Amino acid sequence: MNSDFALRTAGLTKRYGRLTALDDLTLEVCAGEVFGFLGPNGAGKSTTIRLLLGLARPTAGQAWVFGVGAADVARAHRLLAYVPADVALWPQLTGAEILHLQASTGPGVDYAYQAELVERFELDLSKPARTYSTGNRQKVALVAAFATRAPLLVLDEPTSGLDPLMERVFRTAVAAARDRGQTVFLSSHQLAEVEAVCDRVAILRAGRLIQVAPIGELRGLHRSEVTLTYTGQPPNLDTIAGVQDVRQPGEGRLRFTLTGPPGPALTALADADITALAVREPSLEEIFLDYYGTEAVR
Amino acid sequence: MTTVTAPATTAGSSVPVVPGRAVTRLGVRQIRRGALIVVALAAGMTALVAATYDSIMADPAAAGSLQALAGNPAIRTLFGEPVALDTTGGFTVWRVGTVIAVLLGVWAILATTRITRGEEDAGRWDVLLSGRVTLRAAVIRHVAAVMTATVAAGGAVSVVLLLVGAPSAGALVHGAGVGLLGLYFVAVAALAGQVFPARAAATGTAVAVLGVGLLLRMVGDGIIDLGWLRWLSPFGLLALSSPFHQDRILPLLVLLAATALVTATAVGAAGHRDVRGGLVATSSGRQARLLLLGSVEAFAVRRLSRPWTGWALGIGAYYLLIGATAVSITEFLADNPALAGEAANAGFAELGAVEGFTATLFAILALPVGGFTAVRMGAFITAETDRQMTLLSAQPVSRLRLLGAELLATAAGAVALATVAGALTWAGVAAVSGRLGLLAAAQGAWNILPIVLLSLAAAALAAGWAPRATAVAGALPATGGFLLLVIGESVDAPGWVRNLSPFAHLAPVPLHTVDWPATLMMTGIAGAMIAAAMIGYQRRDLRS
Ligand SMILES: Nc1ncnc2c1ncn2[C@@H]1O[C@H](COP(=O)(O)OP(=O)(O)OP(=O)(O)O)[C@@H](O)[C@H]1O
Ligand SMILES: [Mg+2]
Repeated sequence: MNSDFALRTAGLTKRYGRLTALDDLTLEVCAGEVFGFLGPNGAGKSTTIRLLLGLARPTAGQAWVFGVGAADVARAHRLLAYVPADVALWPQLTGAEILHLQASTGPGVDYAYQAELVERFELDLSKPARTYSTGNRQKVALVAAFATRAPLLVLDEPTSGLDPLMERVFRTAVAAARDRGQTVFLSSHQLAEVEAVCDRVAILRAGRLIQVAPIGELRGLHRSEVTLTYTGQPPNLDTIAGVQDVRQPGEGRLRFTLTGPPGPALTALADADITALAVREPSLEEIFLDYYGTEAVR
Repeated sequence: MTTVTAPATTAGSSVPVVPGRAVTRLGVRQIRRGALIVVALAAGMTALVAATYDSIMADPAAAGSLQALAGNPAIRTLFGEPVALDTTGGFTVWRVGTVIAVLLGVWAILATTRITRGEEDAGRWDVLLSGRVTLRAAVIRHVAAVMTATVAAGGAVSVVLLLVGAPSAGALVHGAGVGLLGLYFVAVAALAGQVFPARAAATGTAVAVLGVGLLLRMVGDGIIDLGWLRWLSPFGLLALSSPFHQDRILPLLVLLAATALVTATAVGAAGHRDVRGGLVATSSGRQARLLLLGSVEAFAVRRLSRPWTGWALGIGAYYLLIGATAVSITEFLADNPALAGEAANAGFAELGAVEGFTATLFAILALPVGGFTAVRMGAFITAETDRQMTLLSAQPVSRLRLLGAELLATAAGAVALATVAGALTWAGVAAVSGRLGLLAAAQGAWNILPIVLLSLAAAALAAGWAPRATAVAGALPATGGFLLLVIGESVDAPGWVRNLSPFAHLAPVPLHTVDWPATLMMTGIAGAMIAAAMIGYQRRDLRS
């Protein structure tokens, strides 16, 4: 088994009756990277994570955590910490008691860092969990996970209940985890957060993996919009690779979309007399809307 | 019950659903299975005993000696005041009236707190109450659903008594009493659910009210001078209504008034609190108590400890009472050979000796202790469904160990409960200067452990393969087995049917020695079931 990969799946599939929640997922997450896991509601993100953790059994395929089979939870879980999508805590235990329970049954804890996290997340540990708000329950799970020395953190929409201030604390904690050499597997709907913390992202739709790419490259894979003004003859772009939707919004102005490497287009433009050029990159949101599509809803 | 669900099913998807009615439908759906079982049990047990009456009373000597029972305080304490034993109705009320009342009361409490405070506690009412339905309306509609079921149970008892030809006045009084008692405990549980912000506390308090009520009835029945105590207890009021004898209405009116008062208080309280809050505020902060949080095994014990204390109090009080009355009852039976012979015919051999009497009652210990294991395994699955188990399941702990820890803690709790029962029986006997060795008492109590282990194993097997059936499966070996034997004997079922019941293989300890082959056999079967449970639990998806 190759342990350079923090996570590896091969043909991972999960069916619930006739519904295929996850279809033949093959994915590799390198040790040390912050990996974003995106997709519309019901795409199968939480299902994937439950399979990675051995909480659910795959219909087909396999998953490994640092080379350890996901079904061998006693060994695999020594290498990871988990924050579930919808955190439920023992209502009668206080925050401190839950952290103690997690620490004494978990893969080892950095207590100094834990205290620091409690401080930064502004968590009152003396309250019984019954009285915690959604965000506070999430914070307890986050503190427990970030404070472990586990080399892999699996976080399922961990910031859905956090306010913007806490969201910032969360990003700092992810950065600190990366600095410590921990791998982070982050499922999220918050694109700004993904853009800020992730090295690579995978996009899942209707149970299928449709893209894995470094976050910077995602843009390159997409159309950017080019607007230019010229004098004299309009440049001839008809046969240039990657150029589409050429329009003339006004006298001496040209607008087109460009996909892929810009080299050929630039060569063609060099022959014309260009006076101004503007390139607008698509926002991350536009990219994802492109990927998510409309048929993904189920 | 069908009358309640009928309008719900006719309201098709095209018709806009009245929000209140949707809430009622939700409440009914959550209790209908249990309600059907309870109504069937109440009707079935009544019918069964009424049917055996003629064969018992065929012997005039037996009839006469049964009448003598009325004079013995110990008999009255344990089984209630025997009145009108010379009629089918009176005999039936004495034999199963209290059992049905306790069964109905306990079910009413569990169902009420489960669908009101339990659902609210789990956060499932947040969505429900975000619509047009108020908290108070939701409470009323859920409580009404359970109340309908208890009224149905009382009605079923009345109908059965009428069908076997008992006088209509007595049949109506007894049925009304049973139904009212059910209503009363629904109201008590509803009120407890408003006062306490947690389901366990609400259930515990309501069950304590039931236990104290039962105790007041026992003391009031046993000691003539304290007979007035029965006016303070729903069970006492049921006895005071004296069906088929005096057919008194006043005690039932008192019970009705108490029920109305408690219900009104509960509804009023529901209007004066927040969703997920109680009248008693949860402590807003406290010192961490880190005891028993060091491992999954320790944590299993910690989660067990509080409910265990409640079970131990209830079971302990009952067996202390049995011990304290054992000498009096056995002497009484020894002085009435006809009666003792009758009891022997009915399967209660050698009730004339303390050992024989306690052995008979130790057999029944399998029911509450088996019930304890079923309820605890049910709670384990509930924690999984409510996702509290998720964080622990993500720890480096194998599923085998997770389930094993729960099974070990529950088994240890069950052994401790049996030990408490044995020790307190001994203490009760010793308090009235009777003769029963401590070890003999403990052995009598421990003798039922194989049946308890079967209950635990059945619950575990369901937890591994069909988690939704966990609590019901856990109740099968003890409660199901007991009913099977009782019913089998009543209808003279073939031997192999009766032998399906684990109780058929229980030696009367401490009267005789332990039946080791049977004990080992049952333990072996339980072991195999637990092994199968482990396989299932390891393979299945967690339900979260
Ligand atoms: N236990 C289950 N039984 C049946 N179907 C399930 C179960 N769990 C998940 N599904 C289905 O599998 C699909 C994927 O669900 P999943 O929870 O993985 O989505 P997700 O990507 O996490 O969505 P979200 O962004 O809303 O959290 C959904 O269609 C869901 O209904
Ligand atoms: Mg999800």
